[in-house]
Amino acid sequence: MIFTAPLVYSLLMVVVASILLLFEGKWKFVCTFFFVYLSAGFFFGQVKNLDIGTSGTIILASLFLMYRIMPACAVLYYVITTTKVNEFLACMSRMHISNKVTIPLIVMIRFFPTVFDESRAIGNAMRMRGIRLFSLRTLKNPVSFLEYRLVPLLVSITKIGDELSIAAVTRGLSTDTKRTCVAKIGFRWADAVVWAYCIAVVLFYVIPGLTGNLPSL
Amino acid sequence: MNISLKNISFSYSDSLDDAILKNLNLEIRSGECVVLAGESGCGKTTISKLINGLIPHYHSGTMDGDVLLGDKNTADMTLAEISRVVGSVFQNPRSQFFNIDTDCELAFGCENLGMDPEEIKRRMANVVQEFHLEHLLGRSIFNLSGGEKQKIACASVSATGPEIFVLDEPSANLDLKTIADLKEIVSRWKKAGKTVVIVEHRLYYLRDVADRICYVKDGQIAYEWTPAELEAKGAEYAASLGLRCMNLDQLGDEDMMCHSRLDRESPSSTESITFTNLTFCYHRKHPILDIDRLELPCGQITALVGHNGAGKSTLAQVLCGLQGNWHQKRAARKRGAYLIMQDVNHQLFTESVLDEVLLGMKQQDEKLALEILEGLNLKQYADNHPMALSGGQKQRVAIGSGISSGCDVVVFDEPTSGLDYRQMLAVSATLKKLAASGKTLLVITHDPEFILNSCQSVVRMEYGKVVEQYPLLGNQEKLIEAMLNV
Repeated sequence: MIFTAPLVYSLLMVVVASILLLFEGKWKFVCTFFFVYLSAGFFFGQVKNLDIGTSGTIILASLFLMYRIMPACAVLYYVITTTKVNEFLACMSRMHISNKVTIPLIVMIRFFPTVFDESRAIGNAMRMRGIRLFSLRTLKNPVSFLEYRLVPLLVSITKIGDELSIAAVTRGLSTDTKRTCVAKIGFRWADAVVWAYCIAVVLFYVIPGLTGNLPSL
Repeated sequence: MNISLKNISFSYSDSLDDAILKNLNLEIRSGECVVLAGESGCGKTTISKLINGLIPHYHSGTMDGDVLLGDKNTADMTLAEISRVVGSVFQNPRSQFFNIDTDCELAFGCENLGMDPEEIKRRMANVVQEFHLEHLLGRSIFNLSGGEKQKIACASVSATGPEIFVLDEPSANLDLKTIADLKEIVSRWKKAGKTVVIVEHRLYYLRDVADRICYVKDGQIAYEWTPAELEAKGAEYAASLGLRCMNLDQLGDEDMMCHSRLDRESPSSTESITFTNLTFCYHRKHPILDIDRLELPCGQITALVGHNGAGKSTLAQVLCGLQGNWHQKRAARKRGAYLIMQDVNHQLFTESVLDEVLLGMKQQDEKLALEILEGLNLKQYADNHPMALSGGQKQRVAIGSGISSGCDVVVFDEPTSGLDYRQMLAVSATLKKLAASGKTLLVITHDPEFILNSCQSVVRMEYGKVVEQYPLLGNQEKLIEAMLNV
């Protein structure tokens, strides 16, 4: 068997995110995602039983992290690229979740695209200075590469985070007023299908997996 | 609704010893349009924050005195209550949106106030019509130009129908045509009887709208003029207070330019650098940039003008090898062009100013690096952290890193946006020095005062193409006319 059993089961969940993303026309993202994800899973399956020493263990660990975390990242990507701020707020308040939980979450969702935007600008500036990921300089001192990337990013996102909160509070977003919402939101059959699928996966694979009774292929 | 600030002292720290506002009094009548002007750091933005309640509810500090909106004290209101009466527009279009699409942004304020969805839709339709936003509906805010974003910001604040509008340097990132639109918006608010408070460096566009200009200095209102009074005092008086000009027509006068005329008449060389194949597109049918050939005079400062979205920034990025295909990038690397970004924070990476300059060098030469810093008046900061410097100093560090990487062409993206007169002159002096040392400079700018002060020639772009290129001397009026009508 090329693929290990856990990989196949985690695929069952990845499929949900992929289909949702395909509905949004993000086929490029989905293709890249599957390529990287399946490669990571495949190599992990191949390498994990070999005796490979310290450096091999590091590679193994990063492969493991990659293929375990990537599905969550795909879902996060779907959420932040398709969820509108007002719909999210309305939906949460309909579910009787407190604004104290919702508002920090929505700030986070709003924050990600801005961070990517900033990161791109900083990457541009680095290329102009000849600092590249694949270069002798980075190979000699990989930590400084990270530092060059992260220091300006941290400085600018703290500033932007502050400005975003100011924009929100001066527009009357607060924890104690009840919001209304222009968009119509509701629970429809598509939501029901996704829900049912996810619950089935949890019942038949995740819970048995946790208790060590994972069904074999 | 009238605003009154009574005996206000405020400091961002724990004690009033280093207060930014000192016992300030200001009365703004209902329906009045007041401009707060003054040099950077004089406290005018702090006044705007007192009015929209960010002080004392968001920023911490020590405050003395009362701010009354109508007859209510802002200290007794919550920010949500204040936001019903005060609408705020900020300087940075990038970060004043809480939503990622325009429709939601327009509805956001109203939704927060808990209005009926039908009423919100009616109000949205109203502002869309009033501000001519039909073409901007349903767009992602990441694909809007600065001017478009600022319009959406004004409209979405307007939708909630506040009595008071507070604008903090709204024109900083806008071209002259969009500024004219902004003026329209402000005068519409004024006509509707709203009270408008604008913190601003650029004064010319508020000439017919503002009732009063308050000059803030040392934490107090030092002078008050009507726009006509300030204009009558002349451009030199305004410049001596660090204010931008009141009237763009005065700018073209030879008198205004005489102090920088000499170096304009004797161009240092007649050579020029030629760039070819400057094209770029996301979709084949809609080229964003389509220039076969561009010649820039060596050792001179060339201004690149054109309206928001004409492709100026794309040109800068292609020139510097940040966009474009493999050939263009290789050509850019060969020719050595360096971009000083509008937000210089993006291009400062290291822990000290000296390291920043050393980083770009192929052979690290500390002596040469210190020489470069000396030339930029930065030698005493060599060991400081770049992020701890002021905005102008950061910009000079970025220039230093460009020089050290051996680039002959330096491109600037709006180096003077949001600067007062003195800061603008300082940037201009740095650029002139750089040009005198033999570098070829291309400056994207919407700032006519800066162009007349420092540039020798002008390139104007429209729809991704160069439509005009001419030396500045003798063409000042043509330039201003083109900038206003783009």
